Amino acid sequence: MAAPASDTLLQQFTGRKTRGVLRFVILGLIAGAAVSSRLFSVIRFESIIHEFDPWFNFRATKYLVQNGFYSFWDWFDDRTWHPLGRVTGGTLYPGLMVTSGVIYHALRALTLPVDIRNICVLLAPGFSGLTAFATYLLTSEMVASPSAGLLAAAFMGITPGYISRSVAGSYDNEAIAIFLLVFTFFLWIKAVKNGSMFWGALTALFYGYMVSAWGGYVFITNLLPLHAFVLICMGRYSPRLYVSYTSWYALGTLASMQIPFVGFLPIRSSEHMSSLGVFGLIQIVGFVEYVRVQLPNKQFQTLLRALVFVIFVVAFGGLVVLTVSGTIAPWSGRFYSLWDTAYAKIHIPIIASVSEHQPTAWPAFFFDLSMMIWLFPAGVYMCFRSLTDEQVFIVIYSVLASYFAGVMVRLMLTLTPIVCVASAMAFSQILDTYLDAKIPEQGAKENGSSDPAKVAAAVLPDGLRSTRNPLVGIYSYASRLTVIGASTVYLMLFVLHCTWVTSNAYSSPSVVLASRLPDGSQHIIDDYREAYYWLRQNTPDNAKVMSWWDYGYQIGGMADRPTLVDNNTWNNTHIATVGKAMSSREEVSYPIMRQHEVDYVLVVFGGLLGYSGDDINKFLWMVRIAEGIWPEEVKERNFFTQRGEYRVDEEATPTMKNSLMYKMSYYNYNSLFPAGQATDRVRGVRLPAEGPQLSTIEEAFTSENWIIRIYKVKEPDNFGRDHQSATAFDKGHKKKRASKRKGPRVLRVE
Amino acid sequence: MRGLFSVLLLALVSAVSAVSSTGGRLLVVLEEHSEREKYGVFFGDLEARGFHLTIESPKSESLSLFKHGERAYDHTILLPGKSKGLGPALTANTLLDFMKKEGNILIALSSDHAIPTSIHSTLLELDIHIPSDKGALVVDHFNHDSNKAAEKHDVLLLPFPQALKPNVKNYFAGEGLIAVPQAVGQTLGNESPLLAPILRAPNTAYSYNPKDEADIVEDPFAVGSQLNLVSAMQAHNSARLTVVGSAEMLQNAWFAEKATLAGKAVKTANRDFAARLTEWTFKETGVVKVGKLIHYQDEGVSKKMNTSLAIPEHNPTIYRIKSDVNFQIEISEYSQDRLAPFLPAPGDHVQLEFSMLSPFHRLNLSPISQTANSTIFGVSFKTPDQHGIFNFRVNYRRPFLTSIEEKRQVTVRHFAHDEWPRSWQISGAWVWIGGIWVTVAGFVAFVAVWLYSAPTEKSVKKTQ
Repeated sequence: MAAPASDTLLQQFTGRKTRGVLRFVILGLIAGAAVSSRLFSVIRFESIIHEFDPWFNFRATKYLVQNGFYSFWDWFDDRTWHPLGRVTGGTLYPGLMVTSGVIYHALRALTLPVDIRNICVLLAPGFSGLTAFATYLLTSEMVASPSAGLLAAAFMGITPGYISRSVAGSYDNEAIAIFLLVFTFFLWIKAVKNGSMFWGALTALFYGYMVSAWGGYVFITNLLPLHAFVLICMGRYSPRLYVSYTSWYALGTLASMQIPFVGFLPIRSSEHMSSLGVFGLIQIVGFVEYVRVQLPNKQFQTLLRALVFVIFVVAFGGLVVLTVSGTIAPWSGRFYSLWDTAYAKIHIPIIASVSEHQPTAWPAFFFDLSMMIWLFPAGVYMCFRSLTDEQVFIVIYSVLASYFAGVMVRLMLTLTPIVCVASAMAFSQILDTYLDAKIPEQGAKENGSSDPAKVAAAVLPDGLRSTRNPLVGIYSYASRLTVIGASTVYLMLFVLHCTWVTSNAYSSPSVVLASRLPDGSQHIIDDYREAYYWLRQNTPDNAKVMSWWDYGYQIGGMADRPTLVDNNTWNNTHIATVGKAMSSREEVSYPIMRQHEVDYVLVVFGGLLGYSGDDINKFLWMVRIAEGIWPEEVKERNFFTQRGEYRVDEEATPTMKNSLMYKMSYYNYNSLFPAGQATDRVRGVRLPAEGPQLSTIEEAFTSENWIIRIYKVKEPDNFGRDHQSATAFDKGHKKKRASKRKGPRVLRVE
Repeated sequence: MRGLFSVLLLALVSAVSAVSSTGGRLLVVLEEHSEREKYGVFFGDLEARGFHLTIESPKSESLSLFKHGERAYDHTILLPGKSKGLGPALTANTLLDFMKKEGNILIALSSDHAIPTSIHSTLLELDIHIPSDKGALVVDHFNHDSNKAAEKHDVLLLPFPQALKPNVKNYFAGEGLIAVPQAVGQTLGNESPLLAPILRAPNTAYSYNPKDEADIVEDPFAVGSQLNLVSAMQAHNSARLTVVGSAEMLQNAWFAEKATLAGKAVKTANRDFAARLTEWTFKETGVVKVGKLIHYQDEGVSKKMNTSLAIPEHNPTIYRIKSDVNFQIEISEYSQDRLAPFLPAPGDHVQLEFSMLSPFHRLNLSPISQTANSTIFGVSFKTPDQHGIFNFRVNYRRPFLTSIEEKRQVTVRHFAHDEWPRSWQISGAWVWIGGIWVTVAGFVAFVAVWLYSAPTEKSVKKTQ
């Protein structure tokens, strides 16, 4: 942090201007790098929407663009969750779609008609450039050195932790939410620093935008109050804090309540109670501050004690009463699983079944953050050295986000910005120290220290060792060169790592699978789209498709057919119904499918290709979720052999072999192999010689590599027989006449 | 040229407008060509009603129910023959396939002839049971023709059947007595709602095999009204199959014969009954057709602008919860040769279900008007307070009537954001609205006071 020293050297007007331009150019380049590194998927494959959720967002955006904002707002979607439908307009975060819609219409107004799909595909890369800029602003608020901000922007631009959710085509809420998150934090820091109602209102505005865009807004809702609370506890209450917090809370809460999906949650659910509590607390603290000025010390002490006690009892009692009476919703399940990682597994299988809700594996941290993983603690430590209000924020943010990132894979995303900021602070400290060409003089005590440190020293009592400025200076060029050289190598390795991870791990659309042929050339496996287009072109417009919920959004988006369940898992019972249909015998499943007017059933089967993400591997989740609702009829235990193994071969349990999912997966699979040679390449087992038989459904379509199999549900038998005997009859097994009647005569009654 | 064309057209029209609602191509399977004379009157009556008869022997090479995968005939009569097999053209599977394509079959059995295996297994598949031993016939010691069967008591004389249930239409009513000689009795399974007896044996009848030398029948196949002489099966696609226990009753010999019942001389009315049977089996009676089906939102009298024609958009695909809906369905019934207005039997109703997973409404449809050949049924109701994808469903299945299964899918959406009452219309909200304005006014007043009473000295600046 030699910046102030060099600043004095370059204090001329022209110098500042040049640096301004330079900074602007650098930021532009960073944004360019951020955007272009996210284009791997477009270049490798095509401009296509990725994965699952983006397909819904894309479909919703198309609806918005076609039908206008108000009909989007009141959208009742009758093509999902058949036959319940979904009040989609009121159960989504509209920020993403509205943003793309605005861009679309703005471009058209500029006579640049761009296809909505391309806007959706490129929205995330575009916003990643803005995120880099917001990170620059946030970091610049933390430290005086502008190099830290630029470094942070560069880190943010290319770190895989953020790229994982923002490559081109990954049209998800996170695409814009991370920008909003970082920018809201920047505005908040600005507001706290200046104590300005203007910045507080801006914070609220962007907080409102964030609420409209992503459910992760709760992170802000809890982090800002926590920051305020810690500051109060540290005895740093100030009118600045009061003004910024109250203006943010009042306006921000109102703004968040405008989103139909959020509605009255900010005043009813426990997740939002901390911000309300701190709002109340800050009023009391403000009042107490006022009283302290008016009253003598002794009386004030008594009053304070009484006040604290009364308020605590009233507030806590009120919270308990309201929670028990049900006015305030208790913590939601997803929230519980943040505290106890085993909670979801036991109580809510639907949450545990999502891979991105699993706890993070340790290598993932290095994979996503690379060298920043060890720079990050250094940056946080630096914040401790000079603990200003905004650096307290960094400390809190890092502690919270680190914990959450460890609990859930997807929350790595919220950790990434602060990691970038903190590591950039640490890294720029190194660079500033070692790049300074001047050999420090003995007397120049200020060298190597920083202004914020001085401020902190003025605020804090003198005794803290961390606030005492050590005398730092680099005297030899050798050490400088070594450190600078090492840092440069690290930076280069970082870029290399980021590019490699982006290109190899995060740029696959997952709709299209890529594999390598023996000669090294790329081979595209396009079974998903093949099957979805088959559905689109060969089935009636309102043919209902039943599949496991993972594929709901894709069927809705690509095949444009109504589905029973989709990735918006709002109705656990409905999902369990599908799970039951999949895991039961045909005789049980058929009435369920008829009742839900199912026309086609779609399963994903990877056995031929060795594609491990198939339905047989997900099958136990279906069983578990169904068992949660019908513990009498579906039992997970019955799908395991005596020795507790999950098998699909000859040894598989009868329940497993008779389940609809098993039958649909392996129906006719034998015919691909010589007799008795059928092998499942995912499970790596030899299948029974006799393949399963189907009677209530019939095969309609199987994709090229057998990844997707579609079955048609038969109509009830024309002559009122059950399907088993009808199929048997068609095969030539005639009924045998009962030669001797057993038991009493059954008389017909009219 | 023009004349020829119009003749052709006429021929085409007459071919299309055959008596039956489904067509007039009728195949009669009869083994012995010589027996044709025995059924002369029966065949003549059919031809007079517009059927085009093709009489084939089961042994014939050219016999096939299908041509190019489609039905070659609309109806089939299977008359008993000597041989035990019916050949490859008439297996049980083909017969069921014929019915799957909406062909109708009339099977006549006879206790004199062996019953072919394919008929046996067809009937068994449809849950119609017949005695397994050859020669078993229905005997009644009280209702027999003492003229022809004074000893054997195996020619039953019965009145025309009554309606099956009080609220079911009777298509087999008539005057006189029906002679049923040497009938093979049938019993019907209890599970299937598709089966219905047409002519039941009287309470005193039982099934008996004359070859049994025993004096007492130990375990008869069936007795009393469990024993059917003529029974019917109507598949889900309304294809019909009738089993006539006695082929002899269709023969000339029994069509208008003198008989004696309990000492009284009567005349048999078999010809009438045979006509009733074939009319029903070959879809000349008991066929209902659905015409127009409309549903629309009822926007109230005020919006109709005093004209009965101002009905809002027909058959919209989307409704709102708690809105008034009108539903109308036009149903006609085919009787003999034309469509007539359909009216359900007294005590019976056509019902409308408004259902999602399960019915939210199940309403009786009442006839609201009649046209020359149809009745319009209608009902109005309020959509339930539940959004989702609903079906207007009319599922009308009655014995002897073709089934009506109509389903129209509509979406019922929630209230849009601007369909709720405005806040000031809700008296309970006045408190809150008042609160808002008091706050606003208070804030403005406070600011005004604050600005007015601002200290004049510049030095008093708020400490940051």
